[in-house]
Formats: sequence, structure tokens, C-alpha cells
Amino acid sequence: MSEIDADAAASQKLRKSERVKRKGNRTSEDGDSAGLGKGRAAAFVAPAMLLIAIFLVFPALWTLYLGLTNYRLTGFAATHPRFVGIDNYVNALTDSRFLNSLGLTLLFVLGSAVIGQSVLGFAIAWMMTRVRKGVKSVVEFFVLLAWIVPSSVSTFLWLALLDRNNGTLNTLFGTGTTAWLLQFPMQSIIVFNTWVGTAFSMLLFSSALGAVPPTQLESSKIAGAGAWAQLRDVIFPHIRSHVLTNTILITLWTFNTFTPYLLTAGGPDHRSEILPVYIYRLALSEGSLGQGSAVSLIMILINLVIALVYLRILREKKS
Amino acid sequence: MASIVTTSLVKEYPGGVRGVNGLSLTVNDGEFFALLGPSGCGKTTLLRTIAGLEKTTSGRINIGDRDVTDLEPGKRKIAMVFQDYALFPHMSVADNISYPLKIQKMRKTDRLEEAEKVGDGLSLQGLMERRPGQLSGGQQQRVALGRAIASRPEVFLFDEPLSNLDARLRLEARTFLKKLQIDLGITTVFVTHDQAEALALADRIAIMKAGTLQQLGSPREVFQRPANIFVASFVGSTPMNLLPATVQDGRVLVSGTSLPLPASAEGLVAEGQSVTWGARPEYLHMSTTETADAFLGGVTISENLGASVLLSISVGESNVRVVVGEDQEPSMGTSVWVKVEPRRSLLFDSDGDRIGK
Ligand SMILES: Nc1ncnc2c1ncn2[C@@H]1O[C@H](COP(=O)(O)OP(=O)(O)OP(=O)(O)O)[C@@H](O)[C@H]1O
Ligand SMILES: [Mg+2]
Repeated sequence: MSEIDADAAASQKLRKSERVKRKGNRTSEDGDSAGLGKGRAAAFVAPAMLLIAIFLVFPALWTLYLGLTNYRLTGFAATHPRFVGIDNYVNALTDSRFLNSLGLTLLFVLGSAVIGQSVLGFAIAWMMTRVRKGVKSVVEFFVLLAWIVPSSVSTFLWLALLDRNNGTLNTLFGTGTTAWLLQFPMQSIIVFNTWVGTAFSMLLFSSALGAVPPTQLESSKIAGAGAWAQLRDVIFPHIRSHVLTNTILITLWTFNTFTPYLLTAGGPDHRSEILPVYIYRLALSEGSLGQGSAVSLIMILINLVIALVYLRILREKKS
Repeated sequence: MASIVTTSLVKEYPGGVRGVNGLSLTVNDGEFFALLGPSGCGKTTLLRTIAGLEKTTSGRINIGDRDVTDLEPGKRKIAMVFQDYALFPHMSVADNISYPLKIQKMRKTDRLEEAEKVGDGLSLQGLMERRPGQLSGGQQQRVALGRAIASRPEVFLFDEPLSNLDARLRLEARTFLKKLQIDLGITTVFVTHDQAEALALADRIAIMKAGTLQQLGSPREVFQRPANIFVASFVGSTPMNLLPATVQDGRVLVSGTSLPLPASAEGLVAEGQSVTWGARPEYLHMSTTETADAFLGGVTISENLGASVLLSISVGESNVRVVVGEDQEPSMGTSVWVKVEPRRSLLFDSDGDRIGK
């Protein structure tokens, strides 16, 4: 009898200590909410970290190194690259071609992402809240189509649309033999990128608008608010964080997109040479790998700044 | 101030559901008017159609001498309080209350002053800088009322304004609402599915079923003289006794008991006609001594209602419910007599409509 009691007491003690241990594991002090333990947690993360190291960190460091040399694709400097310090960076920042490219990129981002995709995407999403379901599905289908078609296909469509001889646009509007891509290269790629990317903003804003409480909209309607006042007083305050997220994401994407190269190849005369295109032409067409790497790194830094600003704003919102 | 008149109003939703089906009613100027009915009967639809949030399918709506059928909600001079209050979460209480004035382009200092005044009337002093999320349910409701008052409408429309409050607060808010309406004297239509709320608050009640009007009258009329069996069973906190009966020798035979013909049905029924006899448990009297023109039966269930007791008495095949005072409660199984006042009982015909005025 007493043996059993002792047994029971012992096992109870064991259970208790187990509980304490588990409880200890679960405290938020070390942030280990899954109770894995540090070793196992690290083992789970390791493969991902390895992949990131191989495919992201290493190339970035390699780029950093290349940017400090006069490495070229061909010729003597290809086999015997020489260390040139920050010459490449100085060259880039003083080169009018780089500055031109940076300016074009800003214009491109502002025109096609911030204004084009956001505004158009929101406008479509907003209009779709007022139409019948069938109409909505059809419109959404076509907008989405622009987004999911491979860029090689969509650029081909746009080449056909903008073609000088018998292009669809010239035929439709009777604009003779206007060579859109030559005469209006920036405008063309801005419109093109707006067309491609609007779907994302539209979808994001659609779901954001769906979460605006209808009775609040109706309250403002009853108070006599017109469309603009409703936007300002009810809709916008509700979708603010969505606007922010959307702007940052499409800014980054647009900043880095290479697809316009397929339409204008940066030309004519560098007039649509946005940064990714500039880097490509510099490093691979003209062979200045070292110089190209330096510009790439500058671009990475700009990306980082945008991302940091975004994270900062998000964190401020949460606190 | 204005009356509301709807004429053969129909609201059909896409898909063919008729939320409101040919409704004609008049809400008098300054009246506190309740729309009462079970879930899905079209109360909200009617209110939203009056507000202009739903497009009228056919029929007309007049507010005062204006035909508002095709007007935008903002031009109808109405104010609405929603069940969820629909306050703007990013605006302070003061901004919420003065929102209609902002839309009317009143100067900021003027409208905040106005909000202050309205807030004082609703005991919202000291809360004006808070956000709606920092208020209790009852306070939020008063802010919503404040926003409605600030717009100086001709008509208030309330959709179940009390249903988000807990039972105690609801009673308080009910009294508050009634007083407010009397003070302001603004024509008010409010929706409720709680018959007690409607009886307590309204000057007149419209009872609806499946988009149609069943009865329109004062709380007393609706309670004492329901127009049909539907209204009879919907209104009242204890369900009305409704028993099958036949007319016999100028009297009614209910569950084997012969009772005098209800006063209102005299001369309007034929010998042998099948009818439904009805009387509210509150209007029946119990006695432990033999009584003429009364049911005789045993007490089977007794339910305590506080100051009174609801007794179920089995009479033949049926059950008769009667409300008695707390000190009158008989013990279970006792045989009692339940007497009916002819003035307080009713007959309904086979279609369920009340016989007589
Ligand atoms: N947007 C809508 N589309 C289609 N049918 C609807 C719509 N809104 C309501 N209905 C239908 O119209 C009828 C009346 O609905 P309504 O909301 O007016 O009822 P209610 O009396 O307010 O009910 P409750 O007490 O539950 O709020 C119901 O049958 C409902 O299903
Ligand atoms: Mg409703």
C-alpha cells in the first residue's frame, strides 16, 4: 500500500517537473512558442539559410567585389581584372548616362506604378463595387489576363499594337505611320507597365474595399456626402494601410522590372533606358562587368532604402 | 417635421424576393412609429427604402409634401441610426456628431460648438475627444443618436437601435429614447422585432409579415384587438389563448365548455360556424369557487413571472393559460374555474381574421 503511495507520489513529482519544464519552454522570454528548442529550430531554418546564402548573399558579395575591379566580358581585363577601388562608383555617379537613367527610372516608377497602377487599379476596383456581378467578373478577368500572360507574349502583343505599319493603334485612330515606340518611348513603356501591373492593385484594393463597413458608407450617404466626400471620410481612412503596402510593393517591382527592354531595348538613344536596362546593356552588351556591378550595387542600395522606409512606416503603425 | 406616406410601395430584390410588397401606410407628423414583425418580414427593407438606400421598385414615398421616391438619401432630410451604429472609427466623438454639418460645409468652430451642445443633451460631456472604440455600447449608441440629431432631419429612422445593448441598459436606453423623441418631437420610425419594446415606445405600431401590413394601430389596439391570429400570437409577452370553437345556440363551444359570445362578434356569426376563440391570459380570471361561464380544469404548470404567475390549466383536450396575482397561486392539480370577460375575448374566422370590430 505504502509502496503504491510512494510510486504515485514519485510519478506525480515527475509529472510536475515535466510540467514545469514544459512551462519553462513555453515562456515568451526566449520567444520559443513552438517549444522546439534552439537546436532543432536552427536545424529547421538551416536549409533555407543555406539557399539564401548561396543564391543571394554570395552573388551580392561577388557583385560588390566585381564593382571594385575593371572586370570585362572580353579582352585582357576579362582574364586579368585589376582592382580599381571606388573608381567605378565615381564614374557612375558622375556619368550623365547613369543620371539620365536614374531620372528615367524615377519617372517610370512614378508614372506607371504610383500613379498608373495605383490610381487605375483603385478606380477600377471602386467602379466594380457599383456594377453587377457578371460585369465585375468579366472586367476582372481581362485585367488579370494582362498580369498573368508571360511578358514575352504581352510585349509581342504590344509590338503589334504599336507597330508603325498597320499597327492596331494606328489603324484604330488613323494616326498614320506614327512610330510610337520611337517617338514616345517613355510614354509607351509607362502605359505598357501600367497595363501589365494594374491587376495587382485592383485585386488588393478590391479586397480592401470589401472590408469597408457598408453601414458607414451609408451613414455618410445619408448625411449627404458625395462620391468624393465618401472617399475622403470613409473609404480612404479604412484602406490607408493597403495603399501603403500596395505603393511599396509596386514601387519595388517597377523599379526592378526588365520587361520594357523587350519593347524599346532602352532606345532610341537611351531615351527609355531605365536602370535595369542600363545595367544589362552596360554589363552584357558593352561588356563592362565591373562598371555594371557597381551600378547594380547602387540599385540594390536604393531597393534597401525603399524597403527600410516601408518597414519603418509599418512598425510605426503597429505601435 | 413631416409625415411619411408610402403608397403601394414595392421593393423587389434581384432574384425576385419582395422585401416589401405593396405597402401603404402613413406615419403622422411627430409620431413615434414602430415597425414590428418576425425576422425576415421586411422591416429593414422598408426602412432602407424610405431612407433611399434601396431603390423603390414601384409605388411612391412622400415625406411632408415632398415626393422623395427618386431622391438621393442625402437629399431626403432624414437621419438614420444603424444597428451597429456605423460610427466612423477614425474620428473623435465630436467629429462623428458634427459629420453631417461638415458635409453641409458649416465652419469648423461652429460645428464643434454644435456638437458640444448635442453631446451635452446626450450626457456625453467629457467624451468628446475620444474615439468610438474607446466607448461603451451605450455611449456609442448615444453618439450615433447625436449624429442623427445634429443633422436636424425631418425624420429619424432607427434600425433596431437597442438590440446591441444588454438587457438592463436596453431598458434605460428605451426610456431615454422615448424622452428624447418627446422633447425633439421629430417623426420617428423605428424597427424592432421585440414586441415589448414596440408596445412600450411607440405611439402607433405597424405589424408586418412577409412584406405586407398585418395591422396598424396604437399599442393598446394591437394588444387588445389584434386584427388576425398572426398578430394575436406575435404581440404580448405571454402567448394568447387560441382555441378551436364552434358557434352554438348564440354562444361558443370551446373545449366542451359553453361560453358567452364575445361582444364584438355578436350578430356576425352563423350557427355551427367553426371559429377560433381567443383571449389573453392577462384578461382571464381564476376562481376556486364555482363560477358560471367559466372553464373548469386542473392546474398543470405554473410559471413565475415575478409579481404574477402564469398558470396552464388543462380543459378537456386543450390548455388554457391564465395570469394570476402572486398571492393567488393555487397548488398543482387543484381544480379551478377560469372566467372569461365577453368584452375581452375575440373570435377569428377560418381565414384567421378577427370577426367584428
Ligand atoms: N440584399 C438582399 N438581396 C436579396 N434579398 C434580400 C436582401 N436583403 C433582404 N432580403 C430578403 O428580404 C426579406 C426581408 O428582409 P429584411 O432584412 O427587410 O428583414 P427584417 O424584417 O429586417 O428581418 P430581421 O428582423 O431579421 O432584421 C428577407 O426575406 C430577406 O431574405
Ligand atoms: Mg432587420
